[in-house]
Amino acid sequence: MMIEISLFGALRECEPGARLQLDLPGDAGVTELRAALLAHAQSHWPAPRASLLGKCALADERSILRDGDALPGGGRVAVLPPVSGG
Amino acid sequence: MNPHHLLVVDAAQDRLDPAAAIEFVSDPAFGGIDVFIGRVRDLNHGREVIGISYDLFDALALNGFAQIAARAQAQFGPHLKLYIAHAKGRLAVGDLAVVIAAGTPHRDEAFRACRMVIEAVKHESPIWKQEHYVDGDSVWSEGCSLCGEVADHDDQPQAHDGHTH
Repeated sequence: MMIEISLFGALRECEPGARLQLDLPGDAGVTELRAALLAHAQSHWPAPRASLLGKCALADERSILRDGDALPGGGRVAVLPPVSGG
Repeated sequence: MNPHHLLVVDAAQDRLDPAAAIEFVSDPAFGGIDVFIGRVRDLNHGREVIGISYDLFDALALNGFAQIAARAQAQFGPHLKLYIAHAKGRLAVGDLAVVIAAGTPHRDEAFRACRMVIEAVKHESPIWKQEHYVDGDSVWSEGCSLCGEVADHDDQPQAHDGHTH
């Protein structure tokens, strides 16, 4: 299944349009997506940005996704670096 | 009518309005209103700042604001109106980045609800700040990781990953 990933904050500039797609097995969940994203980042992104992934949360439009969770039905996931609002 | 007004304001089109916040949380039964206004300042960690760009995941931010407001309602009771607004896009020094207003029957709940909400917005909302410096450099702030569990309903400033806000 194709997962559409949106990047925010310091990760925006890692991909054109701040988006990328990863093709995962149909039974993949959040844990598998995180592993695939890390592998992609380590081969395509500058090292400091790839290492930032360890501090990033994954989310859909409604909530944070935890390791072990299923992927959202719409196939859209956001990568959230540490936040700094206010 | 929903007692909470939650919004993201694109700086390219509009600006935050504290008067609108006060008007929204006003009520004949409310004797206390507390307002927090966050502005862009001109110095951070010794570097001269000329502006900040805010990036937001709008949909999740607004859902998060609603969850924060619901927690405030659970903590401070039904006699509470909240206004939560955050800017996105490029701001200059002095521009308003965030406006929180809380209206309640008495001042104590207004102060505490406002404090609880701004701390939660700062530490939980999917918002990212890139500071622009006078020397032309720009840096994304390090911030708070959302990987762990959300802090228990903050109403006081706390250390987060070794830093405080």
